[in-house]
Amino acid sequence: MTAIHLQNLVKRFGAFTALKTMDLEIRDGEFMALLGPSGCGKSTTMNMIAGMENPSEGRILFDGKDMNGVAMGRRGVGFVFQNYAIFTHMNVYDNLAYGLRMRRLPEGEVDSRVRKIADFLQLSPLLKQPSAKLSVNILQRLAIGRSAIVEPAIFLLDEPLSNVDAAFRAVMRTELKHLQRQFRQTMVYVTHDQLEAMTMADRIAVMDHGVLQQVGTPLEVYNNPDNLFVAGFIGAPGMNLLKGELADSDRGLVVDLAALGRSAPLGPALAAAARSNGSRDIVYGFRPERVSLAPSGEGMTMPVVFVERIGARTVVHLGTDAQRVKAVFDNDVALEAGVSAAIAIEPGSVRLFDAASGHGIREA
Amino acid sequence: MNRSLPFEVFRYAAISLALAVTLVPTLWMASMAFKPIAEWSAAGVDLTWWPKNPTLDNFRFIFGTSTSDLIVALDRTAGKPILSSLFSAVFGTLIAMGCGTAAAYGLSRFGSGKNLPLALIQLRLFPPMAVMIPVMIMWAFLGMVDSWWGLALIYGIVTLPFAFWLMKTFFDDMPREIEDAALVEGCSRSRVFMKITLPMMRPALASSALFVFILNWSDYLIALLLTTREWVTIPVYMASLSSSMTGQLYGAKAALGLIAAVPPVIMGIAIQRHLVRGLTFGALKQ
Repeated sequence: MTAIHLQNLVKRFGAFTALKTMDLEIRDGEFMALLGPSGCGKSTTMNMIAGMENPSEGRILFDGKDMNGVAMGRRGVGFVFQNYAIFTHMNVYDNLAYGLRMRRLPEGEVDSRVRKIADFLQLSPLLKQPSAKLSVNILQRLAIGRSAIVEPAIFLLDEPLSNVDAAFRAVMRTELKHLQRQFRQTMVYVTHDQLEAMTMADRIAVMDHGVLQQVGTPLEVYNNPDNLFVAGFIGAPGMNLLKGELADSDRGLVVDLAALGRSAPLGPALAAAARSNGSRDIVYGFRPERVSLAPSGEGMTMPVVFVERIGARTVVHLGTDAQRVKAVFDNDVALEAGVSAAIAIEPGSVRLFDAASGHGIREA
Repeated sequence: MNRSLPFEVFRYAAISLALAVTLVPTLWMASMAFKPIAEWSAAGVDLTWWPKNPTLDNFRFIFGTSTSDLIVALDRTAGKPILSSLFSAVFGTLIAMGCGTAAAYGLSRFGSGKNLPLALIQLRLFPPMAVMIPVMIMWAFLGMVDSWWGLALIYGIVTLPFAFWLMKTFFDDMPREIEDAALVEGCSRSRVFMKITLPMMRPALASSALFVFILNWSDYLIALLLTTREWVTIPVYMASLSSSMTGQLYGAKAALGLIAAVPPVIMGIAIQRHLVRGLTFGALKQ
């Protein structure tokens, strides 16, 4: 129930800059995911919000109050660690009660709240057990419970699901979202798993190499990536990004994709934006899911290199080594390596990027 | 795993050899402790594995209550050396563990200098004899020669590097997230150390303390130099158990050796369940 405002936040470790000038506003009660590959600075950002690390530059505001110099214990944050950090010399009950006892609550209230949260997280039968020998899935719920029990205004989770098995991860995604809906905390969730970010977050902050790349709702970052990194990182597989050159044709502005031939004409709005961008060197982007097979003679014809059948869908790799295209089809698509296929890209799903800067070219 | 027969034979032969090297002298000492003088002295007829006429004479002898068979007068009994060994080893261990743990924690969590840990291990890079002469002079000046506290102090100093390095490895292994998790709940640094870190470190503390204690308990050289009469320790006293008539008093030495083996064994058994390094630290195996 607190808004977090990061202003010009910079973090350096010696000569290494882990985070470069980050500005981000996390709204009151929002579920914000910090998403990026390892080493992108997302955990560093989180540690600074919690007060475990001090920023090298910039400020962190909670509801407008500068948190600089405020000890982590006084910030009102709950933190769930990637390795859970359970106090193994205590039993489950004492672990859950820890935060409440630190706040000197009467033992009666501690007891009723421990029982309530244990109920919610299905830990009730385990309360008296020593915590040293619990399974990973239970440790994970215990770690969430230990932080959630004090009902912190800000709940920080650092890759909490990266160690649990896939089936349990799916369950916990739903439960975490449910937990947040119930308590309405401001939640910051660090993850490298885009599925977690996509399914749970209200907004996603995509980061890479210490730089905030884009902030937006899951659909915004998926549909309209701001730059080449976000385009390639979000989606499984990521967006197809082909180097090309703008070219005029009798049907309007097209993109010359070298060995793959010419693209279909760009829509008028996108063509106008591309022209006003100036540079002719661009990157032509489209989602693998927005590709369909075209009647022969139409669309772009290219060789099929490799076919991945992954059950529900089939991922087909086409094109040349330099210009590789992935397309997602139904699982019964009749393609195999070696044949040629004509593909059509759904009009309106095409995104253009400036080749030099990597920035997206947005329709006005 | 299926092992071949020759390998199994070799394996058990190697194990038997290792056991023999460690156990036979121990058993020989235990057996010797209960033999009457005729069976262990040079005048003895023949040496046997087990005492033919088991007796507690050796124990009585070193505690000064009976000299019936041994026509040797002891100028003092084993009582005080045992106390001296206990006091100096226990307090020496407390000093080393107290300072070592505190230093290790500080350096592991907040350490800025990389050279300090190395400087500490340098204390062990030269033979103790090299510094014992100056230490003797200092101790004499401070009036600590021939006292259990003087001995305890030097034991604490000499074993401090071991305590420090053992504890530092354990602290380094403990994920700092566990402490952060307590700090974020509003726990103070000192309270985190007392209530979270130390209790989780109990196995580490126990095994390090045992190691340091055994080092102190078995010291001969330092005690030989720093004690003269009042507070000689068990090893020094044991060396004095000889006479011009019978030579080395093997039976008495064996009896004393058996007594000296008791404290480490008791400690070892008491902390046995901690000696297995099953520290998972409530986190995942990384």
